[in-house]
Amino acid sequence: MSDTFSYLLMAWLDPQLLALTALGTLAGIYVGAIPGLSVTMAVSILISFTFSWDINNALALMVGIYVGGVYGGSRTAILLNIPGSPAALTTAFDGYPLAQRGEAGRAIGLSTVMSVIGGFVGVAILAATAPMLSDLALRFAPRDYFLIAVLGLLLVSTLSGKSLARGIFAVALGGVIGLVGMDPVTAQGRFTMGSMNLLGGIHYVVVMIGLFGVAEAFYQLHHLNTIPVKQKVDKIVPSFNMVTKYLPLSLRTSVIGVIVGALPGTGGDIASLFAYDHAKRTVKNPSRPFGEGAYEGLVAPETANNAAVGGAYVPMLTLGMPGDAVTAVIIGALVIHGLNPGPMLMVETPHIFWFTVGNLALANIFLLVFGLTGIKLFSKIVELPKAVLIPLILVLCVVGTYSINSNMTEVYWMLGFGILGYFLKVFGFQMGPIILGVILGPLLDETYRQAMSSVGDNLGEFLLALVANPLSLVLTSVITLVLLGNTPAKRLLMERLSRR
Amino acid sequence: MDNKPDKLQVGERVFDWLLLLFSGAVFYHAYQITGFSSINSAGAFPIGLSLILIASSITILAGHRRKQKPDTQGALDELKAFLHQHFPLNVLVFSALAVAYLIAIEPASFFLSTFVFLVLAMLFLRRGKAIGSLLTAAGAIAVIYVLFTVVFRVYLP
Repeated sequence: MSDTFSYLLMAWLDPQLLALTALGTLAGIYVGAIPGLSVTMAVSILISFTFSWDINNALALMVGIYVGGVYGGSRTAILLNIPGSPAALTTAFDGYPLAQRGEAGRAIGLSTVMSVIGGFVGVAILAATAPMLSDLALRFAPRDYFLIAVLGLLLVSTLSGKSLARGIFAVALGGVIGLVGMDPVTAQGRFTMGSMNLLGGIHYVVVMIGLFGVAEAFYQLHHLNTIPVKQKVDKIVPSFNMVTKYLPLSLRTSVIGVIVGALPGTGGDIASLFAYDHAKRTVKNPSRPFGEGAYEGLVAPETANNAAVGGAYVPMLTLGMPGDAVTAVIIGALVIHGLNPGPMLMVETPHIFWFTVGNLALANIFLLVFGLTGIKLFSKIVELPKAVLIPLILVLCVVGTYSINSNMTEVYWMLGFGILGYFLKVFGFQMGPIILGVILGPLLDETYRQAMSSVGDNLGEFLLALVANPLSLVLTSVITLVLLGNTPAKRLLMERLSRR
Repeated sequence: MDNKPDKLQVGERVFDWLLLLFSGAVFYHAYQITGFSSINSAGAFPIGLSLILIASSITILAGHRRKQKPDTQGALDELKAFLHQHFPLNVLVFSALAVAYLIAIEPASFFLSTFVFLVLAMLFLRRGKAIGSLLTAAGAIAVIYVLFTVVFRVYLP
């Protein structure tokens, strides 16, 4: 127990970790707020600079950026009607009308406090549930891991885009990219096309920087001339009465945020949509009609998107299954530092789990401090034109990629993935599922082969095991239901039921 | 740029056919690993993935039947509309500058090529503002030097 507390407070007591968390949170607020920059992009690039650091230092910076970034998007949503990140899309619905009414300061203050409340609920649920889930996961057989990875990728495909087929294609494409290189069991080359250079595989950070950095930069070239409308900001700190008035709603939407955030493939964006919908349905007498500056319409998405951060960490730290694109990138960081995200993380390196919990809580404290201060400076920085920002992003991507292995070929690969990502984005493909495929593809291959070996390579026995074991049966059933739910079978069933 | 689910974008059909072609190539390379020798071989999972790619790209193509065709007449018209929508001047020039920048890094040194790239890219994207672009690029180079050489101590190209 005393060990747990010391790990939990590690970031709070070490001046270096404290400074890095503060720096990360502050930087995250700006990264999240500046349209064209994203948290995933920042964390992807950061991995390449921090992989030689001590793991705690690297994690402290990344956690800060993640927490700050999810919140930061709301600032520009309120002030400029431009959500800095997808998670702040719903915040603009009522945040911007509030700013137009001259209540921008109060809206920013309330969104900050509510984000912190959401963040703390997320951390508390992470601390309470992850150890139990991790214990359960230790009893999983390889086939269960295989099924969980399949379920995760299926959910990613289903939830992260408009078309299931495009989602599945993106995941499988990521899987193929992840398998390029030498097979770890037989040392055979896979998808190397005879090239010795490809035997080592394609580093996933190269793919991440290409897809999230370069592709996004190219995509933003279409929106160079968006002219923001500035707002006057004063009276930022909200009154105690105001906070207590919206506390019950914020607690409900925090729980929604954690649950949605924990589902693979969903992040703050979907969590905030769910929460906004919940507020609209359950709040009978909002302060103003929704969409016209209702405080409830601001509170719900802001608590949910920050609570989703804690939620996204639950499957990542217990099952090695990322909850969203940022946690997928953080899994990459953990692996680079020689850690083993999944149930064994709690056994082998429990300090990393409790350090992360303490660090997330600390980042939320800094969020409160930085969220309620420095608005004037903030307004100046977010006005940085995209015409300046986009070339700088490309330079950062080049530096980030080169620093991984000091290899210019990887820089060309990065640009290639950027161009591929641009086309995929144009035609409605999401980048998140590709990255999850890159990370989970090799895991799926490994668990599939272990599961097959355990039944003597007998396909019949393998299929039987999927339904004979209680846990496997539950997972197989869920996978079947998710698949059926995305086919015409569901529509036909609903039609038949509605006729009765 | 917005994706309208009820209408095909210009170039979408060609792109989705290319995806199917790509999926076929992935299957060929997956089959080259070990063929269908064993259900637990190094090539088994890659073959499975390639089949998923093929199935999903066929489903994507089949979904075109439910969508309206783009408002273009003939392949040439569609190509023109595609280039106009997805390759505006900003994208074309910036891509060319990016490729030239990467090629120039090794022969011309990182800092010089980065400075020239930043100045040219900003000058083009801001349609002028030469002094502002020069100062911003110089400031960026200074920050990159301090941040990556002094603070992070990473190897620069």
